Amino acid sequence: MKTYFLPQHELPSFVSTLLQTTRVIGPVAKKHKFVFARLASADELRLDYDVTILPPKKAIFPQTQPLLKFSPEGYEDVGTPQPQILFGVHFYDVKALDMLDEFFTDGHADRRYLDNREATTIVASSIQHINERAFFASVGADVKPRGHDAFLTAIEGGYVYEILTDKGEALIKHGSFRAATGDEVSSAYAANAEALDKCPQHIYHSTREIGRRVRAAFGRDEVWDELAEKCFSCGTCNTTCPTCYCFDVQDKWNLDQASGVRERTWDGCLLDDFARVSLGEGATDNFREKAAQRFRHRVMRKTSYLNEKLGGPACVGCGRCAIGCVPDIADPVRIINRIMEG
Amino acid sequence: MGCNCATTERNIYMPRECLITKTRQLTRTEKQFTLQLKDGSHFTYQPGQILEVSVPGYGEIPIGVASSPTRTDSFDIVVRTVGRVSTAVNARNEGETLWIRGPLGNGFDLNKLRHQRVLIIAGGLGLCPTRSLIQYILDKRQEFRDFKLFFGSRSPAEQLFTDDLAAWRRSPAVDYQETVDRADANWAGNVGVITTLIDRNEIPRDTRVIICGPPIMYRFVMLRLDAIGIPHENIFVDLERRMKCGVGKCGHCQINNLYVCCDGPVFSYDQVENLEEAFS
Repeated sequence: MKTYFLPQHELPSFVSTLLQTTRVIGPVAKKHKFVFARLASADELRLDYDVTILPPKKAIFPQTQPLLKFSPEGYEDVGTPQPQILFGVHFYDVKALDMLDEFFTDGHADRRYLDNREATTIVASSIQHINERAFFASVGADVKPRGHDAFLTAIEGGYVYEILTDKGEALIKHGSFRAATGDEVSSAYAANAEALDKCPQHIYHSTREIGRRVRAAFGRDEVWDELAEKCFSCGTCNTTCPTCYCFDVQDKWNLDQASGVRERTWDGCLLDDFARVSLGEGATDNFREKAAQRFRHRVMRKTSYLNEKLGGPACVGCGRCAIGCVPDIADPVRIINRIMEG
Repeated sequence: MGCNCATTERNIYMPRECLITKTRQLTRTEKQFTLQLKDGSHFTYQPGQILEVSVPGYGEIPIGVASSPTRTDSFDIVVRTVGRVSTAVNARNEGETLWIRGPLGNGFDLNKLRHQRVLIIAGGLGLCPTRSLIQYILDKRQEFRDFKLFFGSRSPAEQLFTDDLAAWRRSPAVDYQETVDRADANWAGNVGVITTLIDRNEIPRDTRVIICGPPIMYRFVMLRLDAIGIPHENIFVDLERRMKCGVGKCGHCQINNLYVCCDGPVFSYDQVENLEEAFS
């Protein structure tokens, strides 16, 4: 498909025009960090962000989402979503959304996810600043992002806008785009290559080798006890992860005490009751009782269990878990390199 | 392994309404429901498959179907009163409704059991999901060879399906043996854990064995079956886990890389024996 150029000073009016008709979610500043939020105006957009606190999956797989409505008569479907634009997504988060697409389509297609996904146009953007915990260049490097509709790369004087789908093409009529020159396309290519070159953290082995060695370390309790020693079981690593998709389901009553919604809420396998079952008479059993077992489960999920299904690891190297973890023990770089050391 | 769940609806979380045609309080905490789909359609499932059972406003719980698809006019579930959802379910009575999603997951692989000797070892509530297979075998008895059923309960008062037990004691179609951990004054039968029944029987090595019970039971039963030398691919376990979605999404039922709701709940023992998280 075609590649366009948007001058720097035309970006605000492009985004403003989009905002007139469509909900646009993009990176905005929140004190000294960044979050994906619904834009109220174009000048809130911060394409120079390094990483957001929570991944953009929340625009498609929100923290709480109704699955059904209930009333005394039974259940009914909730409505279909409105179109939205997810603007300024870094390539690693596109890769994560590709994985969620696979998980929610595999076996039983989850229309509650897929309806949101199909209603979303994703404009990816180049990485202008890199967080010091990022390792996106060396994890699953052969897995390319697929799910975006267009890719916006900041270069000198403006943005190169690469169109990947009809949805991505449909946006250009809202801005003062012109065809990109060969030099501009080359500059964009170089800018994206530079982001990979500058990525600060590294893992040093192939996906296959890591998957095999980490899986083989399953029974090495001393390693997991050591790695998880300071774990609070707070679940921050789950909550901040762009590829985590486990959820709880609860019924919530409306004020009329007759109707309500069945809704899902993000859950996390690090939380201590995640795999607990009731046996009756107040007795329970927990299939991952120890923090080290839960810690290990997460690492297995990210590095090993899902590789066959995904064709790569279930980790994209964003660094959010490393940034968010209070005792700083969740960083996959350190965990993987520790295990690979032997 | 593929998933046999019947979820063709647009919304995989949408339950179907069932009329409760009969209820029976089996014990102080366990209640049996006989259900029919309210839209009149026939409920198709395999022995060992599970349902998500719900009451609007309270939530869903995973429950194994407790009757065989050979009994076509209705199907049974048994619910133990444990938490909020099961309490709401067990407050329902004949003429009222419950809601189900499913059938979900993979039940018993009947092709691996037909024309074989079959031994079912059930402990406590483990009799409920295995009852789907017990009834199936009894209804198609000529398709199976020797059929033994061992059932263990904590006490006589906690025995489930007492009418069935009485019929099975008399039936020439099944070699039914039972034990209780603790007897009461009226109990004249076996006392002891369920492995004592294995010890007093001659179990041929080519027997296909189905185990369903509390997590602790598997380890001790497996020690006995290993002593006999039964190949692990001929042993089938019916596992329970916390489940929210039942369709391989929510993550709660994972055993290492397997999802109990989709890959199970019935596994051959060799599929799960090396998974540390399978038996707690």
